[in-house]
Amino acid sequence: MIPQIDIGALGPMLPVAVGAILLPLAEVLMARKRTFLSRPFTQERRGTFLAVASLLCLVIALIISVNGLLGPSRVFNSGNPMIVMDGVAHFLNIVVLLGASLTVLGSVKYLADIHSNHGEYYALLMSSVLGMMFLTSASNLMMLFLALELMSIPLYVLAGFRRSSLRSNESALKYFLIGSFASGILLYGMAILYGMTGSISLAEIGKRFDPESAPHLLGAALVVVGLGFKISSVPFHQWAPDVYEGAPTSVTGFMATTVKVAAFGALMRVLAVALEPAAELLYGALWVMAVLSMTLGNVMAIIQQNIKRMLAYSSIAHVGYLLVGVIVGTLDGYAAVLFYLLVYTFMTIGAFTVVAILAKGGEDRDRVEDLAGLSQSRPLMAVVMTLCMFALAGIPPTAGFMGKFHLFRAAIERGIEIGDTSLFWLAIIGVLNSAISLAYYLRVPLVMYFRDAPPTSDPDVPGFFERVVLLTCLAAVVLLGIVPDDIFNVLSQTAASAQHLLLLQSP
Amino acid sequence: MTEQVIFYVSAFVALISAAGVVLNVRNTLYAALCLVITMLSLAVLFILLNAEFIGVLQVMVYAGAIVVLFLFVIMLLNIRGGDMGADRQPVLKVIGTLLIVGASVKLVPLLSESRRAWPEVGPEFGTVRAIGGTLYTDYLLAFEIAGVLLLAGIVGAVVMGKQRID
Repeated sequence: MIPQIDIGALGPMLPVAVGAILLPLAEVLMARKRTFLSRPFTQERRGTFLAVASLLCLVIALIISVNGLLGPSRVFNSGNPMIVMDGVAHFLNIVVLLGASLTVLGSVKYLADIHSNHGEYYALLMSSVLGMMFLTSASNLMMLFLALELMSIPLYVLAGFRRSSLRSNESALKYFLIGSFASGILLYGMAILYGMTGSISLAEIGKRFDPESAPHLLGAALVVVGLGFKISSVPFHQWAPDVYEGAPTSVTGFMATTVKVAAFGALMRVLAVALEPAAELLYGALWVMAVLSMTLGNVMAIIQQNIKRMLAYSSIAHVGYLLVGVIVGTLDGYAAVLFYLLVYTFMTIGAFTVVAILAKGGEDRDRVEDLAGLSQSRPLMAVVMTLCMFALAGIPPTAGFMGKFHLFRAAIERGIEIGDTSLFWLAIIGVLNSAISLAYYLRVPLVMYFRDAPPTSDPDVPGFFERVVLLTCLAAVVLLGIVPDDIFNVLSQTAASAQHLLLLQSP
Repeated sequence: MTEQVIFYVSAFVALISAAGVVLNVRNTLYAALCLVITMLSLAVLFILLNAEFIGVLQVMVYAGAIVVLFLFVIMLLNIRGGDMGADRQPVLKVIGTLLIVGASVKLVPLLSESRRAWPEVGPEFGTVRAIGGTLYTDYLLAFEIAGVLLLAGIVGAVVMGKQRID
C-alpha cells in the first residue's frame, strides 16, 4: 500500500538539504580558471560567497520553521511515520538554525586566519545541520539513528578541519572513535528494543515496553548511554575537553551548542514517549548523571587555563542543569529545557566567537591570560564576553538567570506536587553549583578589565560578520533575560501540543 | 531435516571462525580471513531464515567489500601481531571477560525465553521485491537520508584524504 506523503512537512529541511548537496558543486565550479564571470574567484571571495550562500539556505529554513511553529503539526508519511514536525521539533530546529547561522557568520574570517578556507567546510556544516533537524523530529528508531549519524559524521571531519594542526587531528580522531563507540552502543540498545517490542516506532515501543523485563531495561539503558555520550554528560564526558580544545574554534562553538540541542530533543522524545513506562528507574540513573555532570563539570572548569577547555567543562555542567528539566518530566520541565537550550546557544556561541576572533596568523590565542587588557583594546568584545560569562553563571538580569530559574522552579514545583525530596535536592545542588561556577566565569572579566595587556598583544579587529554575531548574542542574552515570560508561555503550549500529538499518534 | 543439518553445520563454522578472529592475535591476516568465513556462514543462516536479500547483502557487502578493505589495510600497513598490543592491560582483560561471561549467563536464557509468537509472514517476505517496495514507500525518507549521509561521507573523506586542498 502506498502511504500518503506530505512533502510540505519537510519544508524546513529542504533548503538545508539543497545547500548540503549543491555547495560542494559550487566550490568546484568556482575553483576553475575561467568562471561565468570570466575571471577566477580569489580564495577569500570564494569563502565569503559560500558563506553567504549557506546563510541564505539557513535563513530560508529559519523562516519556514518559524511559520511551522505557529501552524499545525504534520507528519511526512502516513502509516508508519518517519518524522513528526510538531511544535517542539520546529522550535529546536529554530535554535539549531540560529546556532548554525551564527557559526557560519563567525567562520568566514576565522577560517582565513587559520589557513583552512575551504568550501567543503560549509557543505559539511549544512549536512550536519540537516542531520540535527531530522534528529529533533525523528519519531522512530531508524530515523533517529540515521539522523544521528548524518549529524555526527560531518562533525568528525570538521573537528579535524585544520589538517596541519596536530591538536586538530587528535581532536578528530578522538571524536570519531568515541562517537563510533557511542553509535554502536546506541544501535545495540535499539536492536534489543526492536527485538523485544517488535516495533521501531517510538509510540509503539512506549505501548509495549515492559519495565519488569530485564532485556527491555537493558535496551533502554544502552539507548540512554548512547545518547549520554552525544550530550557529553558525566560519566560519558571524557572526550569533550580534548575534542573541544583541538577543534577549530568556530567548530567548537557549533559542537558545544547545536549538537546538544538536537541530542536533547532526541533524548526528550525517547524518554517521554518510548521509555515512559521505565521512567522511575531511568530517572534515578539520570538523577545521578545530572548531579555528577553539574558538580564535576564546574569543579574541573575551575582549574583550566585554556578557555576552550574551560568552556568544554562548563558545557558539561550545563548538560547537568538541562538534565534537571528532563528529569522533572512535566510540561513546565520540558518548556524550561527548550528555553534554556535557546539561551545556552546564544551565550556559548558569543563566548566562542570572541575566542575565535583572537586567533591570528594560524595561532589560537585561547588561554585566559590572552584576554588581558581586552577592555581597552577591544571594548565591544570585552562587553560581549563579560555578558556571556555572567549569563553562563546565571547572574540576573541576563538570560542565563531566567533559564536556570525556570529549570529549578519546575523541579521544585514538581517536587511539591508529588512530595519527592530528590527533586528538591536536585534544585539545591543546581543552585550550589551555580555558585561554584562563579569562581571561573568571573575570572574572565577580571582578567579583561583589571589586568593590563602585555605590550606585544594586538588583538584582531572583528570583521563585519563577526560584529553581527557579537551584537546578536549581546542582544539575545540581554533581551531574553528581560522578556522571557511570553516566550516561556508559548513554549509551554508548544510542549503540550507536541505531547498530545505524540501520545495520540500510532501507526 | 536437511535444513537442520545445514543450520548446525553453518552455526558451528560461524562460531569456530568467530573464535578464530579473536584468537589469531599473532597473524592479523588470518584473523581477517576467519572473519570472511564467519560472514559467509552467517549469510547461510540468513538464507535459512528466508531472508535471501540480507544473505546476499551479507556476502556482497561484508565478505566482499568490507573485509577486503580490512585485508588491504593490514597488508598496506604491514601490521604484525606484536603491534596490536596483545600483552597490554591483563587486568582489564580479565574484568572484561568476567563481565561478558556474567552478562551472557544472565541474558542468554532471558533472550531465548522471551521468544514469542511473531506475526505470520507471507511468501514474499524477505525477497528483494518486498524489501524494495517497503524501502520506497514506508521508509522512503530514511532511504533518502541514507543518500545524503553517503554524500556527506564522501565529501568528508575527500577533505581528510586529499593531499592538498586549495
